[in-house]
Amino acid sequence: MRANPAEYELVAPSSLRDALALMANNPGEWMPIAGGTDVMVLYAAGKLLGRKWVSVLSCPEMRGITVEAAEVRIGAACTYTDLRQHPVVAKEFSLLARSAAWTGGIANQNRGTLGGNIANASPAGDSLPVLLVYDADLILVSARGERRIPYRTFHTGYKKSLLGPDELIQTVCLRREFTNCTAYAKKVGARNAQAISKVFLAGVGRVADGQIESVRLAAGSVGPIPLRLYKTEAVLTSQVANDVTFENAKRILQQEVQPIDDIRSSARYRSVVLASLLREFFDSFGGSQDFVVSMNGILARWSQLSATTAAEEILPCCGSRAWARQMAAQRPFEDVATLLATSDRIWLELSAADWLEAFQSHPRIGETRSHLESSARSQQWSAQEQSLATESPDAVKYALAEGNREYERKFGRIFIICASGKSAAEILENLQRRLKNDDATELHEAAEQQRQIVQIRVKKWLTE
Amino acid sequence: MIPRGETQPIEIQMTVNGATRIVRALPMERLLDVLREDLELTGTKEGCGEGECGSCSILMNGALVNSCLIPVLQANGANILTIEGLAHDERLHPMQQAFLECGAAQCGICTPGMILAAVHLLDRNPTPSLEEIREALSGNLCRCTGYLQIFEAVAKAAGATHDGPEK
Repeated sequence: MRANPAEYELVAPSSLRDALALMANNPGEWMPIAGGTDVMVLYAAGKLLGRKWVSVLSCPEMRGITVEAAEVRIGAACTYTDLRQHPVVAKEFSLLARSAAWTGGIANQNRGTLGGNIANASPAGDSLPVLLVYDADLILVSARGERRIPYRTFHTGYKKSLLGPDELIQTVCLRREFTNCTAYAKKVGARNAQAISKVFLAGVGRVADGQIESVRLAAGSVGPIPLRLYKTEAVLTSQVANDVTFENAKRILQQEVQPIDDIRSSARYRSVVLASLLREFFDSFGGSQDFVVSMNGILARWSQLSATTAAEEILPCCGSRAWARQMAAQRPFEDVATLLATSDRIWLELSAADWLEAFQSHPRIGETRSHLESSARSQQWSAQEQSLATESPDAVKYALAEGNREYERKFGRIFIICASGKSAAEILENLQRRLKNDDATELHEAAEQQRQIVQIRVKKWLTE
Repeated sequence: MIPRGETQPIEIQMTVNGATRIVRALPMERLLDVLREDLELTGTKEGCGEGECGSCSILMNGALVNSCLIPVLQANGANILTIEGLAHDERLHPMQQAFLECGAAQCGICTPGMILAAVHLLDRNPTPSLEEIREALSGNLCRCTGYLQIFEAVAKAAGATHDGPEK
């Protein structure tokens, strides 16, 4: 039954103040409408209960994205298109820009708003798990004043929230602290455009040396509200990213969500797929799951070797026999993170003579053979590490060769730099700066570079 | 005809296909209905009436929107382009011409919205890839063509007005 427009009132105040005054008058009598992508669907079906509507699209205080030093503030009436097109949102909060691109088609993205998605409070809203993992704050306003609340506290039950009948969501605040995180979001639906999610998972995490330092997870369409998965997060935090950790997390995840059978999917499907999404996120932690498995396999095998053989095997990672001996003596290692930390400690405590021995296992930057007879493996790794440097113009190569010779004349040893990911020009710049160092300073700088090389090589050794 | 109820009609002014139009309408009337019934611009079609199919797509202030989801009050003062505003005199818009040549229209219900969605794309991205064409039209459903001729037409129109689409 089509709605009768004469039974509805709609006004469009030109300021937030006027909108709030109207809503304060008899709280609950006037309801807010923004882009109409939810409200007008109910209206067309004759199911819209409220009769008096106040359009907030005309309030300039609700629009615009402001970038501040510590946070990005998004006006609640910003559309999905606004989110997709904003350079800072796209760069620092990429999950928000991506989930905006998955919401509806272009026409709905041009009208639907972030504040509307929050206020509509659907458990399937695609931007909502993303706001949970970014731990957004909301600024709520009414004629009584404003308050700032953590978004994670906003939804209190199916279609229930902390929003008062006279209140509007004015701003969504995102702290700018996610630039060094692994970020993940996936929507599973019949198609992206114009199809509501069957399952949605978002996650951000920080992983260092195979260990999960911190993680936030949130899921859509698996409970009465968009769910922040606190219990699953707790199982993952401070753990090594390996199979055991994943299986523990998966078990808790499936206890933590409450999916239902409905028109779009079944509870069982949702539960199984959600675990697969967690696996996919997990695998994106600085290397695939294969990486983690094979690392542990090599570590386990190495732990069983005799001390001499174990030292020989790990020697190409560093080049110092003292380092290799002490590493072998420290076995068994609980995990890769411990192994890497031990490597750093042993390296920094070695004598200068041991350091020099390690330096001599490298070829000069730009050359392929080292001073000492080094292993085939060490030569292969050097070639990989220096690959950017060797693909450089002849002039730079020539300057590098000259700089190397000058370095050797001055310090009596070869120039050491962690070349992975560095272009020849960057290496040259470093070389020219370090030529000005005194001998003691330069020895320590070279040792720090070698420490970084060892870290990279140990990880390579554990995966190859 | 305005249905009976408590709310009174108000004056709405819009620029529609380049001309200023003033209508008296109830604020919650759908822009789609005002275009079709008050302004007699029946090129804009109603498909699902709930923002899923894109048949009622028009450009409002340059942005693609579903006119079935817009209360006309929110269109007050807006610049509207409907399918009727694309051709000039007897000369079809290059997108319309491309749809004709590629057989990209069958029953015709989705066609006006599809063409406006495609025009909206080329306004922003004159040389779209096939993937970009598919994304831009993903909110417009067609039950006849299977979409292939439509994608072809958009690529052709991009080639007609520009150097050609990048594949």
